[in-house]
Formats: sequence, C-alpha cells, structure tokens
Amino acid sequence: MGLQINHRSVIKALFKDYLILVAIIALVFVTIIFEPKFLSSANLTNIMRQFGPLSMVSLGMTFVIIGGFIDLSVAGIMSLVAVITVSLIEPAGQFPALIAGLCIGAAAGYLNSAVILTCGALTSAEALFITFGMSTVYGALALIFSKGATQHMSWITSGTWVYDAIGQGSVGFLSVSFVVFLLCLFILYIFQQKTYLGRAVFLTGCNKTAAELSGVHVKRSIRLIYTISGIMTAAGSIMLFSRVTTASPVIGKNYETNAILAVVVGGTTLRGGEGSVLRTVLGVMLVTLLSNCMNMLGVSTFMQTVLKGAILIIAIWLDNRKES
Amino acid sequence: MENIDSEAILKMKDVTKTFPGVKALEKVSIEVKRGQVLGLVGENGAGKSTLMKILSGVYTKDSGTVIFDGETIENITPVESLHRGLSIIYQEFNLVNSMTVGENIYLGRFKEMRGMRGTHAKARELLDSIGSRIDTWSLVSELSVSEMQMVEIAKALSFNSKLIIMDEPSSSLTADELKKLFDIVHQLKKRGIAIIYISHKLDEIFDLCDIVTIMRDGHVIDTKPVGELTRNDMIAKMVGRSIENEYPERPRCAVHCPSDTLLEVRSLNTKKLHDISFTLKKGEILGFIGLVGAGRTEIVRAVFGADKVKGHDIRINGKHIKIKNPRDAKAAGVAFVPEDRKLQGLALSFSVKHNISMAALDRLTKYGFLNTSAEKGIAEKHIKALGIKTPHMNTTAVNLSGGNQQKCIVGRWLEINPNILILDEPTRGIDVGAKYEIYLLMKKVVENGGSIILISSELPEVLNMSNRVLTICEGRITGEFDPEEADANSIMEKAIGLSGEGKI
Repeated sequence: MGLQINHRSVIKALFKDYLILVAIIALVFVTIIFEPKFLSSANLTNIMRQFGPLSMVSLGMTFVIIGGFIDLSVAGIMSLVAVITVSLIEPAGQFPALIAGLCIGAAAGYLNSAVILTCGALTSAEALFITFGMSTVYGALALIFSKGATQHMSWITSGTWVYDAIGQGSVGFLSVSFVVFLLCLFILYIFQQKTYLGRAVFLTGCNKTAAELSGVHVKRSIRLIYTISGIMTAAGSIMLFSRVTTASPVIGKNYETNAILAVVVGGTTLRGGEGSVLRTVLGVMLVTLLSNCMNMLGVSTFMQTVLKGAILIIAIWLDNRKES
Repeated sequence: MENIDSEAILKMKDVTKTFPGVKALEKVSIEVKRGQVLGLVGENGAGKSTLMKILSGVYTKDSGTVIFDGETIENITPVESLHRGLSIIYQEFNLVNSMTVGENIYLGRFKEMRGMRGTHAKARELLDSIGSRIDTWSLVSELSVSEMQMVEIAKALSFNSKLIIMDEPSSSLTADELKKLFDIVHQLKKRGIAIIYISHKLDEIFDLCDIVTIMRDGHVIDTKPVGELTRNDMIAKMVGRSIENEYPERPRCAVHCPSDTLLEVRSLNTKKLHDISFTLKKGEILGFIGLVGAGRTEIVRAVFGADKVKGHDIRINGKHIKIKNPRDAKAAGVAFVPEDRKLQGLALSFSVKHNISMAALDRLTKYGFLNTSAEKGIAEKHIKALGIKTPHMNTTAVNLSGGNQQKCIVGRWLEINPNILILDEPTRGIDVGAKYEIYLLMKKVVENGGSIILISSELPEVLNMSNRVLTICEGRITGEFDPEEADANSIMEKAIGLSGEGKI
C-alpha cells in the first residue's frame, strides 16, 4: 500500500499491517471475554465517536510525517480552534463559525511551515521544537482568548444543530463523524496516490536535496503538509468539542502524542518518504480501541499512558528492525 | 590448521554467498601473502564489497573457508576481525569529526593508553612511522580527505593490522595526495603488511599492485601478476567483452565547426566564485578542470539555480533568463546530474520508475493529477534506451549498482530533452563498462544538438571527451584550452594556480 510496489515492500507492508491487525483482534477478543458489554451497541457507537477526532488529526499528521517532518502543534491548534469556533457560533452563525474554525487551523498550520522555512529548519528535530514552540503559542492564545474559562455549548441560545449532528448524529448505523472521516480518507488517499503534490510530499520526505535538484516543489510540499495538518486538526477539534459539548482551552491536550502514535503504529516510518493514510486508519483503530478496552477493563488512565508509550517505542523498534 | 603456506596471510576458498534471489558470490577463492599488494578489480556489482563484508564479519558466508593468519575464521564480528589484525578502510571514513586525530586513532582504548597524553604520544608515533605530519590535537573535521585517510591508516596500524583493505582509496585524492598514499602503501609492504587495494582506476592498479584478482558477476575470473596483464586484457575480463578504447571518438564540433553560442554566463559572483564569465556553444562539450573545492561544482550549481548568487547574467540563445531555482533552470532546458548520486541524485528508497520520472513529474501532471501510465512509459523507454540493468521498473533504486543508478539520473534528465546537460562527476565510482556507456550517451546528446558541461576529477576523461576545457582555481577561471593541442602539464599548472594568474 506504500508508494512502491515491489515484492519485498509488499511482504513488509503485509507483515506490518498483519501485526497490527493481530494486535487489534487480540485486544478486542480479550476485552470481550472479560467484559461482554464491549459489544453493546452503545459502546460500539461510543467507539465510533471517539474515533472521529483522533482520526482527523492523525490523517493530517500522516502527511507531515511522510514529508519527513513532525507536527507537535496540533494540541495548541485544537484548543485555539475550539474556543474561537464556539464563541463565534452565536454572533456569526453556525456555518460561518465552522468555516472560520477550519480557516484558523489552516492558517496556524501554514504559519508553522512559514516559520520552519524562514528559519531554514529543515530537519525533523528542528521542526519538532519549532512546532512544540508554536503549540505553546497557540495554546496560550486559546487561554488568553477564553480567559481560561471552559465554554459550554448549552449556553448558546441561537441553536447548535450542526454541531449536535457532528457530535451525536448518525447516518444509518454510522455516526456522522465517521462518515466525515470516510470522506476525508477517500479524498486524502486519492490526493496522496494520484496527484503531483502527493508525490512531491513523498519525494520531499525521501530526499529533499534530490527532489529540489530535480525541480520538484519542495517548499510548496512543506507548506502543504503543515496546512493539511492544520485543517485536519481543526476538523478534529470541531468533532471533539461537538461530542463533549464543551470547549475547554486545553481540549487538545495529548492529541499530538496520540496522533503520532497512531501514524507510527500504523506503519508510516518516522524517517519519512514512506507510508499511507490507509495505514494510519489501522493505527487510529488500535489507539482508540486501546483506550476503550482499557477503560472497560478498568485499567487506570495513568497505566494506559504507560502502555501507549511502550507501544510507540515497540513500533519504532519494529520499524527499524525490519529495515536492517 | 597449519597446513597452509606460511606466507599467506589470507586464504579464502570457495566462498559462496547468496542473497534472496541473487548469487552474490560463487566459489570465490582469493589468496594474499604477507607484504603483498593485491589489486581487486571488477565492475560494480561484481561482488567485491560482498567479499569484503564477509571478511570483516558484516555478512556471514553460506559456505567455503576463510583462513586468516593461520586460523580458520567462522562467524566473526567486525570488532573481532579488527582485533585479529584485519582492517578495512571504507570509502566513507569511520571517523568522529568532532574529536581529535589522536582520539580517533585510539577511540575506545584511552584506558589502555593511560589517558590522553599517552594516547596522543602513541598516535604521534604511529603517524610519524608513516611519515605524516598531521597534528594529533587537530580536529578531524579540519582535515582534508587525504589527511583523514592517513588517520584511518594510522588507526589500522594501531590494531597491529596484518592485512589492510582499502576500498576505493583514491576516489577524492589529488595527484600529489595519491603519490603520498602510494609511498605509504610501499612502506606498509616493507613492514610485511598485506594490502588489498580495490579500485576502478586501472592506472593505480598497474602502478601499485603485485597481483590482480579480477571479479565479475560473483566469480573470480582471473588472478595474475600485474606484469602479465595488459590494460585491455584487464578491461575485457572485467566487463566480459573487449572494449577497444576507453573513450569513444570525440564528438567533433565547436572548435572545428564554430557555431552559435547557446549559453552565456556573465560575471557570476557568489561567496566562493569571483567574476565567472564563460560561454557554451551549441553541440559542444565544455570541460571544467580544477581541484576538488576549486569552485567547479559551485559554478554549475549557481547556473542551475541551486545556490544563492550575488548577481549574474545568464543568457540562453541570446535571451536573458532569470534562474532563481532549479525549476527555472529546468524550464530553460538546463539539466543537472549532481556529483553525489546518493545524497543529491536519488530517492534511494523509491523505485527505478519513480526516480526516472522525477524531473518530468510536472509535465505528467494535468489538473494536479499524475498520469501514471505515461510515467510507466517514460520509465520503460529509458530503461530500454539506456540499458539500465534492473529486474523491474518497480525495483528500489538502492538495489541497483552505481552505474545503473547513474543511468537512472541521466534518464531522468534526458526525458525533458535538455539543451544543456550539466554532468558533475558523472563516472565517479562506476565501472569501466558503464563509464563507456555514459560517454556514448554524452556523444549522442551532443549529436542531437545539445551541449554539455562536464566536470570530472579524472583528467583523462575531461581531456578525451571535451571540445574545450576551462581551468578553475580558487573560484576563478584561470585558463582556456583546446584539449587536443594543449599538453596536460600546462593545463594542470593553470588548474593548480602555479602560474599565478589566478590570484589578482
């Protein structure tokens, strides 16, 4: 499913996907044995809803990581988008607020890339710290804007049916957020596999110098991946506050780690130049199911964090082991 | 295991190594005696590197025996082999740039050396013994390539090596530095140290080695004393067919049939370049000669828009053209094959197909979407036309030999039908057969009306292939020659800057 289709990489890809599928199935199986309620329709709907925000952020993150960079600013962007969008619903209307939220995400993402390109910070480590810095800036802006207070959707008197639909609605047996996710996945997959810029992102991640010297738009790719990440993060943010019906100025906390976890566990390498949004879907499934199952089994959230960290390390280890 | 010739330090017998799908080595036997220099030659992919990696313990052999210093060697690790007295000096040095020379030589053994003072004293001794005057306290990052090589040799000696393998040791040395290297090799020989010298440069093999082992496709084709081989024999055995000449007949143009100016560069200035002006005629091969670091690469990179320039005036076909980045250059019909294949040329983890289509991607795009079937066509066309040896167009580029990788990059640029093809060290590290094919390609480009700028550290290559050469020294153009008339010495004088005209 990667960009190259030779035998070795197919086997490699299958092995990677197979391993994660085994992990997902084992997880579900164990949970069902100990807690049959896992299969209740209430819980399954719940999982589908939890899936939404993280899947959006992770799809965006996939592009950044394939491009050979990383984006730690998603936590800050999520918080900023959440507080501004919610506060705009009443004065500006539901749809304008939604559009504004997405635009803020895009602008914040673009700003990241602008800072990175201006600094000439073209290594993954530099991008890591720059986006970390930007995350604190966006997070602080969210706190300043909201004066540190959490806003409740129920305070809005002018109607919130759009957000109710995103957070609670369903189309048939699928939640609205899941349908949005499928749509985004389809568009991004086509974009990644079939378009010039999709290819340019891969080439940038593989070898920036060679790509630039062949006349591939490297800078444009870098701007693009961060902008996509920004928009997708904003979409994730809107899904999240719609579901929990409150917009706290720290709502995006931990999303950067979870998204990177999902992307890497899915099998997109942190070295860049290789991977796919489809793989990320598996990664998001694992991470979401992990939270859900652990919650059902009564594992403390602290322990869950330990487990996630361990999984990330194991995923990187496996990835590098297969390389050598 | 004392049944071996006491003189032989290394004896490999019937060593076979198979990788999935490829037989890398098939019953390879090699023998080196103490104090002997064995030249190991063969095209890229002939199995030389695999052989060396088996010796050092990076790979394990499937079958066969290796006897080193009287002992049979099985499942050795690289560190063990080093301690047994087998050192390999790779093309890419294993040095820590941020540490001093002395520390590098005794890396990890400071305790045995009783601290830094002992380390540096010992290092000094070693360097003196090979006649090197490098300060043991200077940082490796401050050294020249040849000095780094000396440090590597000293490091090998610090392990009391009985056999030193040098992999392409001369690839970035100047003539003087090469002579120094030869002196050292002769010294080591006298001390009874055996050397395996791997090189594509046949002159060096003839000058330096006692015996030569020729490999092809994982087999040893022949082992003979150097004196019993002629250059052409050797080439024929390496490539499996005879090549009449190392260079094709020089494309006759420019000088003999003066034609229009295609490219004109006026007062090009950067941090390193000073007032570079030159012209390139239609159908001409223009050679750049100069030392590594003289500014040859900087000139073409500036023309191609890869580096920032302080100000320049580039005209193509008389029209002023603004080149701010490689895309502008590409649009103007300029193509650039960079000097470092792996770092600047290839997307190594990508397929051959994707590597070939890289420069043509924007042409394959309609409404933002790539035409992937046309991409396949392009890859197919160039794989066939250039004779790129690859199992499939979807094979990853990293699996190809150097020559075939280079052809991928050349094919990438031929696809855009360039007027001006810039080749920076196009034959570095590739074998004789592939070299010849690259030369033929150059000829074809010129015959089809294109022009070429050729940069190479191999003087014979530039002199044999160019219609006109420019010498470059310390960021200035110091001379212009007709390679058919000028003698090599006067060209080199200008290139090294001996005549003083370079510095105004």
